[in-house]
Amino acid sequence: MDLLPSPEQEEIVASAAAFLAAEVSTQRTRELIDEPSNVDAKVWQAAADLGWFALGLPSDLGGVGCGLADEVLLFREIGRSLAGGPFLATTLAARVAAFGGEAELGTEIGAGGRVGMAVLGPESSLDPGGVVGTLHVVDGDDTELVLVATHERAALFARADLGDLVALECIDPTARLARATTTGAAPVVAVTADVDPVALRGTALVAAQLTGIAEATAVLATEHAKNRIQFGRPIGVNQAVKHPCADMAVRAELAWAQTTVAALAVDEGRTDAELQCLSALVVAADAAERNAAGTVQVLGGMGFTFDHDANLYVKRAFLLAQLLGPLRPALARLVLLPGPQ
Amino acid sequence: MELAFSAEDAAFRDEVRTWLAEHGPRERRPKGGPAMREFDLAWQREQFDAGWAGIAWPVEFGGRGLPLTQQLIWYEEYAKLGMKAIDTRFVGLSHAGPTLIARASPEQQANHLPPILRGDVVWCQGFSEPEAGSDLASLRTRGDLDGDELVVTGQKIWTSFAHLADWQELLVRTDQELPRHKGITWVICDMRSPGIEIRPIHTMDNGEDFCEVFYDEVRIPVAKVVGGLNNGWSVAMSTLSFERGTAFTIDQVQLSSTVERLIELARDRSLLGDDEIAYSLARARADVAALRSLTYLGISRNLRSSEPGPEGSMLKLQWADLHKRIVRLAVEVLGPRSLALDPEGEDTWSELFLLSYGLSIGGGTSEIQRNIIAERVLGLPR
Repeated sequence: MDLLPSPEQEEIVASAAAFLAAEVSTQRTRELIDEPSNVDAKVWQAAADLGWFALGLPSDLGGVGCGLADEVLLFREIGRSLAGGPFLATTLAARVAAFGGEAELGTEIGAGGRVGMAVLGPESSLDPGGVVGTLHVVDGDDTELVLVATHERAALFARADLGDLVALECIDPTARLARATTTGAAPVVAVTADVDPVALRGTALVAAQLTGIAEATAVLATEHAKNRIQFGRPIGVNQAVKHPCADMAVRAELAWAQTTVAALAVDEGRTDAELQCLSALVVAADAAERNAAGTVQVLGGMGFTFDHDANLYVKRAFLLAQLLGPLRPALARLVLLPGPQ
Repeated sequence: MELAFSAEDAAFRDEVRTWLAEHGPRERRPKGGPAMREFDLAWQREQFDAGWAGIAWPVEFGGRGLPLTQQLIWYEEYAKLGMKAIDTRFVGLSHAGPTLIARASPEQQANHLPPILRGDVVWCQGFSEPEAGSDLASLRTRGDLDGDELVVTGQKIWTSFAHLADWQELLVRTDQELPRHKGITWVICDMRSPGIEIRPIHTMDNGEDFCEVFYDEVRIPVAKVVGGLNNGWSVAMSTLSFERGTAFTIDQVQLSSTVERLIELARDRSLLGDDEIAYSLARARADVAALRSLTYLGISRNLRSSEPGPEGSMLKLQWADLHKRIVRLAVEVLGPRSLALDPEGEDTWSELFLLSYGLSIGGGTSEIQRNIIAERVLGLPR
């Protein structure tokens, strides 16, 4: 038992953080808000060249062959950075293709493809025959493929098969949103969860991204509390400010600890892997939402402006928490699972 | 990164599990008084005789000197007995003992450590005072030097098991002139000394373990001072930071069992159709999982560095809050059955529900824990 990263894993973290800081600064992410695409193609290709989208894919399927524990380290950094783009859907899509028998497609996606995420809601469903109903497509407005994943199965669809997409303004301005209503589309490739638990892995990756947000916002609030002077003293001397900062730090720590355990539970094939992953999602979603909200409050008027990053974290956390479907059904599922190992 | 325990640790777990299954007490623990003390000490003696006492204590003090992971495993398995996480042995084994290991003289160690492990003695703590709670450094109980003795006069409060204890880790002010953190001394007090009067405090969960202790010119040999005169603050701080990484393991594992039992009960009573109860239980399951994960993360850090990480106060804060939330949820799931206090042979959480009000107060209030996290971990100004 050792939940700390190895030196090789520290290397993954350091190189990811350096890449994100250099290529996808928040300023760059903001510039892309008004561009047609929220992804800089060159940067996307560079990330693919670093092996990001095939990091956890087994090497015999053309991937890098690292574990989910390595992938969560990467996704935590992505979360912290606010970088826009379908990192999650693309990573999961490479698995769907590879495990679904479309090895070439899997390699192609891993090598720099881009796949959007179609979010299911109460008025849509995915079954072996395909997908039916109204879908919300995130970052899939200009991709050829979109991913749909549930705890039972995951499938890739040709975006064109979903019918006309209606572009919508996303609550997160750094993301792209569209709505599609399909009377039935057949998948290009699909896998069931027993072949590869795609959504389960996605749950851990989303939890990691949310943890990154929880950590980044905790730091923003704490730094502001140290530096902002009112009544002649830093506002952080007041327990009404100081204690929320402490709570943010605790929530971020808990979220990271649980995300680590969730990823390792999957890597090590533990029987309670789903319980650990759903727990990570629940804890990290709460941490990200409350830390981002707490940061807006600690920052005061500045936190309410668009120019400060706090609002981008609020919005990203809101989007990520629903990227694999609404949280309530996840909670309802969590309570019915067998107990921890 | 690895979640699985090593083969060595797994073998240790098997050994612990087998021994506890055979030797865990069968009879109900007496609810208080000398019978409870005897029960606890007999149980400690049994562990000592079988070589289970002081798992993480250094070998030279009679411990096993085993790594922190095995201490964790012991606690995890011990928790399954369903016995109280904190009993009359707690201060000796987990508080005063480790302080003596860190700061006492070889003679003091030789005199006091073996009896703790053997289950011969009960220790209690004499830190808080009526006017020195969260602000411990403002303590006033005097220890005036008179030849080779300290003459102690004053009052301590919130002392668990004082009426059953042989020894006390006692903080007294031995210099009235020095700055307040500097004039404090940590001394071993014989609880049978003349001049000590103990009065029980009746707590809201009907407990009788809490006491006030009054000292009227109690004479303590200077040889019982640990870490030097006027050096008690630093000695006390080493006590307070000890074992934070594993100290809540027993309770945390029991919390997890409670959540699992509640889910089972809610299912049996068709309460999972109530969204609010179902979501609260799911949330509790996730939070208990995360608390365990944070414990593991803290232990992982401790295995690499002896510097205590930020987990101690974080665990205490989160544990207290979560424990309160879960027992509140438990009485909700039980419905009117929770109106009865502790009926034998039935699921009951009503006493624990009442007890839980103290968890965010004892051992440093949640407000103080937040101050510690904010100031010492995050570097926010005081």
